[in-house]
Amino acid sequence: MNNQETIRVALTGNPNSGKTTLFNAITGEIAHVGNWSGVTMDKKAGEIKENLNQGQAEVTAVDLPGAYSMSPFTSEENITKEFVKNEDPDVIINIVDATNLSRSLFFTTQLLELGIPVVVALNKSDLIAKKNIDLDREELSELLGCPVVNTVATKNQGLEDLVSAVHEVKAEEQAAPFEAGDVDLTDRSAVEAADKRRFEFVKSIIDKVETREVESNQQTIQDTVDRVVAHKWLGIPIFAVIMWAVFSLSQTHVGPLFADIFVGWIDQLNAGVASMLGDSVSPVLRAILLDGIIGGVGAVVGFLPLIMVLFFLLALLEDCGYMARVTVVMDRFFKKVGLSGRSIIPMIIGTGCAIPGVMATRTIKDKRQRRTTAMLTPFMPCGAKLPVIALFAGAFFNDAGWVGTTMYFLGIGIIIIGALIVRKITGDKSTRSPFIMELPEYRFPSIKRATKSMASRGKAFVIKAGTIILICNAAVQIMQTFNWQFEVVAEGAQSTSILASIASPFSILLIPLGFGAWQLAAAAITGFIAKENVVGTLAVVYSITNFINPEEFALVGDGTNVASVMGLTSVAALAYLVFNLFTPPCFAAIGAMNAELESKKWLWGAIGFQFSVGYIASFLTYQVGTLITTGSLGTGFLPGLIAVGAMMSVIVYFMTDEEEVQSEATVNA
Amino acid sequence: MFSKISEFLTGGEKAVETSRNTVINLAEAETNTEYVIKEIKTDDEELKKFLFTLGCYEGETVTLISILAENYVINVKDSRYSIDKNLAEAIII
Repeated sequence: MNNQETIRVALTGNPNSGKTTLFNAITGEIAHVGNWSGVTMDKKAGEIKENLNQGQAEVTAVDLPGAYSMSPFTSEENITKEFVKNEDPDVIINIVDATNLSRSLFFTTQLLELGIPVVVALNKSDLIAKKNIDLDREELSELLGCPVVNTVATKNQGLEDLVSAVHEVKAEEQAAPFEAGDVDLTDRSAVEAADKRRFEFVKSIIDKVETREVESNQQTIQDTVDRVVAHKWLGIPIFAVIMWAVFSLSQTHVGPLFADIFVGWIDQLNAGVASMLGDSVSPVLRAILLDGIIGGVGAVVGFLPLIMVLFFLLALLEDCGYMARVTVVMDRFFKKVGLSGRSIIPMIIGTGCAIPGVMATRTIKDKRQRRTTAMLTPFMPCGAKLPVIALFAGAFFNDAGWVGTTMYFLGIGIIIIGALIVRKITGDKSTRSPFIMELPEYRFPSIKRATKSMASRGKAFVIKAGTIILICNAAVQIMQTFNWQFEVVAEGAQSTSILASIASPFSILLIPLGFGAWQLAAAAITGFIAKENVVGTLAVVYSITNFINPEEFALVGDGTNVASVMGLTSVAALAYLVFNLFTPPCFAAIGAMNAELESKKWLWGAIGFQFSVGYIASFLTYQVGTLITTGSLGTGFLPGLIAVGAMMSVIVYFMTDEEEVQSEATVNA
Repeated sequence: MFSKISEFLTGGEKAVETSRNTVINLAEAETNTEYVIKEIKTDDEELKKFLFTLGCYEGETVTLISILAENYVINVKDSRYSIDKNLAEAIII
């Protein structure tokens, strides 16, 4: 606080009361939002927009994770408590779900005791009328002793009033309407009694300000919908159909439409740069620029329209409230393997990017569950893996929606089996952690919010393509152009290049998986830097002209060209896709795993496990697939079987060797 | 029509529960009936505290809205929560 003119405002409130939506609305930031509890894991600061701010002083808003009270239950609640108590904000905005005063005001009265001026934002106030609730805002303000402002964050309503209320109270001393008094915090029953009095006080307020025509415990259509979408048997098929619809729309229908135009532009750019360079530029430099950079990056960026459609649809899904139901559906299966519905949240976040997904495991209390979730979350196909899926679905499977859907559910299946194995290895001494999830009301998803979310994710994708992927592609192009004597590799002798000589030894290991070509091995290796690199490198090593021409480009029509250049069967292509999706994630995600696992042993165990799983899944896909399609086994079956057998026996060895591991586990714990 | 669909969807699970006379915890409760919580029976003090902040503690009312697979949808204060069977068994009514 070196600047006297800046007012710092903390945004606090119950989970899913709309804090981040309000934060985005008043600051113009684009933090990730969703209609379910626990989307925000960390604090985030932003300047309040000038057009809302009528006072002289600048206002900085800090968005905090949701909390039900000042006594934290989850670690993200703790962030909120620590911030409010220690960082001494100038004003607290308490966002209250107007349809749920009876719970929310408990936290409000605790905030009012801190002495920091509080402004209550009565959010979702448009829903009060809809639910036939009568609310006396002025009386509420009087009883609480702080300003109460009606807001609808999703529609940008009441924001100016809210900011001017902040300016009004900023220098005031907040008086508390309810004082718990001197409670001995070590005496549990005394604390409990004080908290009960607090709830009694909240009730007395509610009685005065709120009248409900329909009690909230009556059955609604929403409950009926829940019974269908979270049904014992229907829940999973419905989830599968929804995911299929998402992939089919983005991959088969809407995506290619835009991609067609987009790839045409990239093609024009390539031709334009080529003619600009003329013939005077050395062919090597020309190749690096055209094939390596524009070609490789272009191949990745070519998938942008398709991925944006996918992100848009996923944002709609998150916004409507369905995701909370998915956790309920999956809880049953996850419990059986020693995880809980809580573990699903990191995994859903992981479909955007594994890094925040892995970080979200912090909310899981049980250490073993947390570690297991952190090592399994990267199996969910993340945003960076989508271009890889899209390329193979386009090149080999005619843009079928089932490819993405299958990979999605294969990921879930692997996670469940993986959790079972980890539980076996660590020994099942799990305290069954309780599962509780608030079910938010369904709402019609906002096109605007989904568009914003899509735009921000698309922007991140383009930035990545223009930096890390560009550099990687240039490096791949250079390594492919020269041999170790730094001479330009002759036509037809590509296998003497630096790239080929590095990748070849690895490619031998991949023969039993059906794709023992050094080009494919190289692409898989660069994939560890960033998964989009798989697409970029393939474009570079197989000479991009095939990719970039709209007539031949995999995405926009006939993919057979790409398929024939790579010389893969459809089954081997699927195996290659499986290999890239389910081996360890990119280095950045491994770094996140390292932070959350808090143990080198777990980290190496996790990486080894992920590699084995990817290899085995890919092996099975290729060999079984080949057996079905051709009637005989694929190449390298026996050596592959030996490798798979070795990996499995290591896993089984750890699974049965419980005593030793258990004693280690106690050391770790 | 909605009520018929929901009857079909929950019918099987309800039949088991009604055969008992004395309902002890929320896992045995009937849907659409308001109960008063007698006790939260758990060793997990933090969980108890957390339930408290939601308004789920002795003397308060709770309504079982529906049973979905092994999860129980309950109404406490003005919110819906999905809780698992263990937790439902811990809520004594």
